[in-house]
Amino acid sequence: MEVNNQNNEVKISVILPTNGYFLSSVRDFTKTLAQNMTGFSEKWAYRFQSVVDELASNAIEHGCRPGDEIKITFLAKKDESLVILVEDPGHGDQKFTAQQLNDMYNQKIKTFATQQFMGIRGRGLAQIVHPWSDEISFEDTETGGIRVKVVKYLKKQENSLEQSVNVSSERQ
Amino acid sequence: MTEVQIIIEDLQSQNTSVVAKIVKIVGQLDESNVDDKSQEIYKLIESIQPGQKLNVAFDFSGLEYMNSKSIGYLTDWYSKITGSGGKICISGAKDNITDILQVVGITQIITCYASLEEAKTYIIS
Repeated sequence: MEVNNQNNEVKISVILPTNGYFLSSVRDFTKTLAQNMTGFSEKWAYRFQSVVDELASNAIEHGCRPGDEIKITFLAKKDESLVILVEDPGHGDQKFTAQQLNDMYNQKIKTFATQQFMGIRGRGLAQIVHPWSDEISFEDTETGGIRVKVVKYLKKQENSLEQSVNVSSERQ
Repeated sequence: MTEVQIIIEDLQSQNTSVVAKIVKIVGQLDESNVDDKSQEIYKLIESIQPGQKLNVAFDFSGLEYMNSKSIGYLTDWYSKITGSGGKICISGAKDNITDILQVVGITQIITCYASLEEAKTYIIS
């Protein structure tokens, strides 16, 4: 774990083995960080738990083989924003490029906007990460993996009113 | 594997063709356990005999976390149970669980009650 304190900004990186057992620990850590280092409400801390959990689960499933590691990085700016980056090594059997993942993500958002999805899998990015973030981007890494970056800005009014769904204002 | 416990309890129904159950989920449903644990619900659904209907109240008062896949299983159970003429509802969900169920639209298709008593009333009829 790496911690840098500079200009009211905290950067923490977590290296996680590809074992679902550790996801609950990362969720606990995410909630603690969001509550103590960002200014977001408890409701948003729980939401960030889900965002991180979904991104990490996808990275493990699609970008890893047994024994690999994923990297989760939090950039917390007190009373301003929380940035979450999740990076896989690109060793999965069902490997996607950043462009493919971006296309699938946008297609699912369009589909789910008009119909109730009744499938078991495929909700995470489009139905959970999308409404609970302001920006999301996908990037190919040097090792052939994917880095997903999610940004959520702290909006005072939204935080205090505890609105249930945030409508994204910017997409990449 | 993250800890989760599923407790299935019988409930006496007013209708003899209705099999009423309370399914209490305690702990966290995530990628490490949901595929295994979901099988307990599928076994319950498959145990219903022809001519019977299964009514289920999911008691989420002890559920602390659910991921997208567990929500997917919930919608699949909804489809299977209501497709066979049964009923399904949720009771006692904590705020963070209700929040995620709302954001994915599940609260539009599955009735959520604040108390287990209301849920029991719904499924025994």
